[in-house]
Amino acid sequence: MTELDPVIHAQARLRVVASLSALNVGDKIAFPRLQELLAMTAGNLSVHLRKLEDAGYVEISKTHRGRTPATLVRLSQRGRLAFEEYTEAIRALLDPTS
Amino acid sequence: MIGAPPVMTGSPALTLFRKVVCVDLDDDSPPTDAAAALRLIQDQRSATARRLDPDARLLYWPWGVAWLVGFGLFFLQFTPGEQALVRLPGWLPPTVLFILLVAAGAIQAVVSVRAYGQVTGDSARRGKWYGYAWALGSLSVYAGLGRIAEHLPPDLAALLWSATAVGLTGALHMAGGAVWLDRDLFRLGVWISVINLVGAFAGPGWHPLIVAVAGGGGILVAGAIARRRQRQRQQP
Repeated sequence: MTELDPVIHAQARLRVVASLSALNVGDKIAFPRLQELLAMTAGNLSVHLRKLEDAGYVEISKTHRGRTPATLVRLSQRGRLAFEEYTEAIRALLDPTS
Repeated sequence: MIGAPPVMTGSPALTLFRKVVCVDLDDDSPPTDAAAALRLIQDQRSATARRLDPDARLLYWPWGVAWLVGFGLFFLQFTPGEQALVRLPGWLPPTVLFILLVAAGAIQAVVSVRAYGQVTGDSARRGKWYGYAWALGSLSVYAGLGRIAEHLPPDLAALLWSATAVGLTGALHMAGGAVWLDRDLFRLGVWISVINLVGAFAGPGWHPLIVAVAGGGGILVAGAIARRRQRQRQQP
């Protein structure tokens, strides 16, 4: 499985990207909620989000809700495409005839 | 290095296990094989969808019950013919209907905020604007009705109120179906509009019976269908 996208082809980041892909296009999720969905520590999730952000796969925006700062995460168009290609590649590996 | 199970099963024990293990997990490691990767993707997506998509029954059934009981009481009070089926104090049906509708609205609000509260963007904007349409639409319609209904005999006033309210509900359900491209929601809107039409022509007395049974029942059925589709969608 050497030709698979190395950014996504890691368990934790694959889980992050798979979760984000379940959101509707155009939606963002708050960092703590994503953390809760993935049952990851904040530090761990931050590290992986940074790697995904560096690859241009996720977009992270800071905003304010009232007075509390909030971090919002979404899968970029490029990230969604990369995830779809990865999933296709995995399916092709499992069923080379398709 | 101990590997955590790559799947999220949702069982509390495993979730706790994951919480503890994930800190030290070398999770830069790739899935063990293609099958494990695919399973991880499917499980994670369905787990996320389950958590972000509230149980459809909680969104439909409280409204169905409110219509069934609330309009049912209206029918008992304004039975067609000379004799009321059951003697009820005049304030009871509207009060019960109002309380049940407020309760259904409150349940919907709590369930939605718990599910989508931390998700912003296009979906949230759609939901918010749709909510405004309900609130402002109801307010403007009822303000006009209040001024007319006081000049009508009680049975016609009741018909005017309920036919207009149900008509607005039907139209907004159809609009909701259009906004979310939800065929079942759209069909429910068509159903409510049609039975409202039938009830309005059947006349005072019959309208609440038709709305209670066909309308309230229709909402209950729509909730069951929506739940079934939701389960199919959330299968890993």
